[in-house]
This record gives sequence, C-alpha cells and structure tokens, in this order.
Amino acid sequence: MAEIPNTRFSLLARLREGGDECAWTEFVGIYEPAVYGFARKKGLQDADARDLCQEVMRAVSQAIDGWDPDPCKGTFRAWLFRIARNLLINLAAREGRHPRGSGESDVQRMLEQQPAAEGADSALFDVEYRRQVFSWAAEAIRDEFAVATWAAFWRTAVEDQPIAGVATALGLSTGAVYIARSRVLARLRQRIDAVEGRTPLFEN
Amino acid sequence: MVVRFTRCDRRRLKEVLQGGATDRAESELAGHLEECEHCRRDLEMMAGGPEVWGDVRSFLSSVDIPPGPPGPVHSETTTTRDSLTSSEQAAPGAVWRRQLGFLTPSEVPDSLGRLGAYEITDVIGRGGMGIVLKAFDPALNRHVAIKVLAAEWAHNATARRRFAREAKAAAAVVHDHVVPIHYVDAAGEVPYLVMACISGHSLQERLDQSGPLELKEILRIGMQAAAGLAAAHAQGLVHRDIKPANILLENSVERVRITDFGLARAVDDVSQTQSGVLAGTPQYMSPEQAAGYAVDHRTDLFSLGSVLYAMCTGRSPFRAETAVAVLRRICDGRPHPIRDINPEIPDWLAEIIGKLHEKNPADRFQTASEVADLLEQHLAHLQQPQSVPRPGKLRGRSFLRSLTRSRKWIGVGAAALVIAVIVFSAVINDRKPAKENQERQADDGQASNSVNEPPVPDSGSRSQTPDTTRAATSRSEVDRDLLDSQLQELRRDVLQMELPRRRRESPVSATPAAVLEMDRQLRSLESELKSTAR
Repeated sequence: MAEIPNTRFSLLARLREGGDECAWTEFVGIYEPAVYGFARKKGLQDADARDLCQEVMRAVSQAIDGWDPDPCKGTFRAWLFRIARNLLINLAAREGRHPRGSGESDVQRMLEQQPAAEGADSALFDVEYRRQVFSWAAEAIRDEFAVATWAAFWRTAVEDQPIAGVATALGLSTGAVYIARSRVLARLRQRIDAVEGRTPLFEN
Repeated sequence: MVVRFTRCDRRRLKEVLQGGATDRAESELAGHLEECEHCRRDLEMMAGGPEVWGDVRSFLSSVDIPPGPPGPVHSETTTTRDSLTSSEQAAPGAVWRRQLGFLTPSEVPDSLGRLGAYEITDVIGRGGMGIVLKAFDPALNRHVAIKVLAAEWAHNATARRRFAREAKAAAAVVHDHVVPIHYVDAAGEVPYLVMACISGHSLQERLDQSGPLELKEILRIGMQAAAGLAAAHAQGLVHRDIKPANILLENSVERVRITDFGLARAVDDVSQTQSGVLAGTPQYMSPEQAAGYAVDHRTDLFSLGSVLYAMCTGRSPFRAETAVAVLRRICDGRPHPIRDINPEIPDWLAEIIGKLHEKNPADRFQTASEVADLLEQHLAHLQQPQSVPRPGKLRGRSFLRSLTRSRKWIGVGAAALVIAVIVFSAVINDRKPAKENQERQADDGQASNSVNEPPVPDSGSRSQTPDTTRAATSRSEVDRDLLDSQLQELRRDVLQMELPRRRRESPVSATPAAVLEMDRQLRSLESELKSTAR
C-alpha cells in the first residue's frame, strides 16, 4: 500500500516539472482506447486486449521517471506519445515471434527502442490511433462552438452533405458554412497538435 | 477579376479562421466566399489541408458525436462536472456512448437500452468509478439513478471487489440525509448500483450560483451533512470524498442528502495504484488522505470542515494552481482566515471549522455526531435566542494545549515538592536527631549492642558510647546516600519531563517563575543537606 502515494506523487511531480499536468490524463484518454482497438483488430480477446492496455499504461507510467526534461529533446507530450508507440509496436512484434511472458526489463527496453521494422502492425496501430485522437479532439473542442457552427462542420465535413442543403437547414448563408467548417477543422488540428506536444498548449 | 483580387485577402482569411475578425468582416468574407472559389480553397487549405479533411471524414464518421447541442451534463443526482476529471470533462459524449455497449436493446421509446429491469433514459454524468445513468424502474414506476462501474474497471478483480464491498456497505446506511441505495448488482458482467433519483442540485452548484451562504443555511446544511455522516460512520463506513458536489440539496425542501459513499475513492485507489494518476479534485481531501496514509472516519470531518469553509466564503479552503500544490497546502498550509473573507461569520463558527481543520485527526472533533449536535445547538440558539442558550465556547486547541502544558507543570511541581519534602525531612532527621539518637541509644543500648555487636564481657557503658555514636553516624550516612540517589533520580525525572517540552517548543520558551523558584529552593535544600551531613 505504501507505494501508492509515492507513485502518485512522483508522477505528479514529474508532470509538474514538465509544466503539464493534463498531459497524462489526456494521453491515457486517447491512448488506452487506441491500444484496445488495435488489439481487438489484431484478434485479441477482450480480456487480453485489456491486459495489453494495462501493460502499456503501466510501463509508460513507470517510464516517466526516466524522462529527461531537456527542452532540446522535445516536449513531454511528444516523448510520451513516442515511447508509447515504440513500446506497442515492439510488443506486437514480439508477440508475433514468441508467446508473451518475457520480463520487465524487456518491456523497459522496448520503450526507448525504435521499432525494428515498420510493418503492418504499425500501420494498423497508427490508423487506430488517428481515429482515437480525432474523436478525442472533436469531443474536446465541441463545446467551444455554437451549435450551428458545429452542425455546419459535422454535416458537411464528416457526413459529406452538400453545403447548400446544410446552409438552408441551419438558416445560414453558404459562405457562413464555409467559414464555420474551416474554423472547426483548424481548431481540431490545433488541438491535436497541442495534445501530441507539437505545439505548446496555450489554451486549456 | 479586378474586384475579386481587391477583396481576396489571406490575412483576413486567417483572422476569420482564428475567430479574431469582427462580425462585419466575417459577414463580408462570407459573402465573398460564396462567389470566390479561390478563397474557399485557400481557407480550407489554411484550416487543414486535404489529408486532414480526409481524416475527419474517415475517422469521425464512425464516431457518434451528435451534430446537435452537446446536451447539458446536468446532474440531478450524483456526479456533477465538479467531480469529473479533466479528461472526462474534455471528452464526455463519445466515450460514454461507446461504453453503453453493455445495455441490452429495448423497444421502449426514448430508452437507450436496458440494464437488468431498468430502462436507461439518459446519461447523467461520469465520475471516477464509472457512468451515472438515469433510468426508469417499471416495476415501481419511478425514476432511479444507476451507477455503473466503468468498463475499464469491470474487468479488474480488485476494483470489482471494492465496488461490491463499498456498495453493500453504503446500502446498509439508511438515514434521512443519505441518498438511499435501492439495489446492488455486483455479480453481473457490469456491476452497478441503483439509488434514488434526487431531484435538486448539489451544494457545489448552489455555491457556484450564489456564493457564500447565510449563517442559518450554513448551520442547517452543515448539521444535516454531519448527521448523515454520523449515520454512515456508525456503520463503519467512511465516505472519503466529502465535497460540495457530493452534498445534494433536494428540491423544495432543500433537504441535505450525502451521496457517493466510499465509492468514488474506492475505485480511485485502484486506479492510482495502476496508473499513478490522481482522479477527481483533491481540494477537499484531508492531510492524511493527501499524504496517502491510512484514513478513518475523521478524514470526513476534515473534509466537512472544508465544506463549511466553502459555504462561509464561497470557495474551497485549500486552493492552488496545480493538484500537487493543493495537496501540499492541505498538508502544510492554513487556509485564509474565514473572517477576513466574510466578516459576517461569527468567531465561534470559524473556531469550529478551525478545529475540524486540525492536521492531526486526534485534535479534531472525534465524531460527526458531536459536530451535528454542536451545529444544531447553535442553530437553535440563533432561531430562539431567548429560550435556547448559546453553546459554551469551544475548547479549542490553544486551550487544550495550555491544559496539557499546565498538567506537565503540575507534574514537575509535584516532583519538586516530593523532593522538597524528602530533603526537608531528611534534613530535620539529620540535624536534630543527634541528641535524640544518643538518648534512644542510651535507652536501648543493651539491646542494640546485642544486635549490632557481640556482647563484650568486662566492658562498661562509657566504652559503649562512641560505638553507638559511630553506629548512628553510619546509619545517617546510609540514609544520606539513599536520599542522594533518590534526589538524583527525581531531578532526572524533572529534567525528562521538561526535555520533550523544550524540544517541541521554541528553545527560548520561558520557564514559569514558580518552577524556577521551586528549583531554587530545591538547590538550597540540597546544599543545606550536604553541609549538615558534613
């Protein structure tokens, strides 16, 4: 029981050092479902997929102590997302070669190790990941927009409905629909860049 | 063409895209975009480029985020926005909907699906432990709230066990000021518990809307919350997450109902063990909780103090920009004095809150019922000042401290007195008895001789006198040695009694005059004893 607060404090402290306490929560919110979806698409049973999620999250949370807050090496978020991907791709590659059950050190090594070969797994995972990060970001920014603005974006950009019809339905000019959908998309992209650590988080 | 080029302005496109343009500029651009395909393309490229537009289409079309209004996450029962973690706040709808897969389809209109016998009608919110659903119970024809253990925990044996244990314990608490739990299903694929659907709002919402409350309201809500806590504590249940969001005010009657007993944190514990992430707001935690120590029912009393503080001032007592800083303040800091923020709060209430906020659980009130009684008495006095007397002044820490300190001094004084008496009697015994001794010795000289020395034939009484005197002296020497050692022992005791006090308190703390005086007398007696003995 004694290690609970320690883990918690060290993690919080590290995140604080990185000046970014939301990073971990946001990371987990995006990464866990992505890993799960990937595992299921690879044919893993629900329970095994959950195990994999846990394994990845635990390894990554433990690895946070080893993060070097050197600005030259990129942001904490970028590092977090990179090592998680490394781990997952390497883990998947190992699964393919021999059954699971290797030691902790193996997992730790996979964190920093670049995947040996970028195969079908990495492509599959990247798609799952993109799916998650997009839906996550869409949820995150939705409340920032007026209902009509959001609807204009969703119906035209996501559902691919004709602009003119959507404009009539929403009582907007077509020009306003163009502006609305672009504005939402720009914000969406900006939010994804921020969560992945490519741009500093000015907002939120 | 000329017209188009004068109106095409990339800078303005960018401004509008970032929402920084005026309404007029925006509607002008909207009009322009309807004619100018070139600017439309530019705008879309600036927004994202074709791959992003493609991603949006392929990745978001499989996600169910309704294009309509986001739908207020209004909580009638339990979890409000306050209790959501940042990630949950950021991404509610889609995550919940994805997680509703466990519901069995239902033909009832407006039903999202069925869980057991209940028709799920709405998603109310999400807390650390899972989803909160609004449901209809057809058998009893009433609305209920259902807490479902989140899918990510439903497969975790530890989380399930804790959920079951806490839910059953919570169901055993039946009290006016606790949200009743109707049913617990902890064995199914998705563990859940069914509780009364309370219509009303949380204390958090009330504080957000109206800021600090009236004194009578503070006392009424505080008293009822304390009474609810007392009922739970009597069952051995610790809430561990007392905060305004978990204190519901039932509509019209505004009856206080505590909800979420032990549940949120039960799962949080598991979550923290695994991911090291602290879920929920730590603002109302107790120091022992914040430091990760074992907690008992007194953790709820600290949190109750924070809730009272929030009602008095409109804000939580330990605030900081980051979670870590909040935890640190809870452990080390003192909240800003209540009366500085709201001078209308009487001293005695600030004192009650101060006592609930003692860092050491042993220094707080020891039971919730004690607090409930005290608040009730104050409320009664406030309402009927003529017939109900104001409760006595709180025996705060300073008073207790001074009491324990004076007890210590009583001990020191007593020890010194004992020494004084012993020394004094020894001196008396030692000084005067020379003659008496001789007389006594003379009286029972024979007997003493027969005891102390072998009878010497032919020896007269005169020859015996020096011997008996020597015997008396040697006995007083023994006594003095004994006294001396006793004296030293007592001095050591006195010193030991003083030491811990000195170590704890400031090194320059003054020693009371009475003790100094006693010490002085002790020393003089001591030296007198020594000189007499010589």
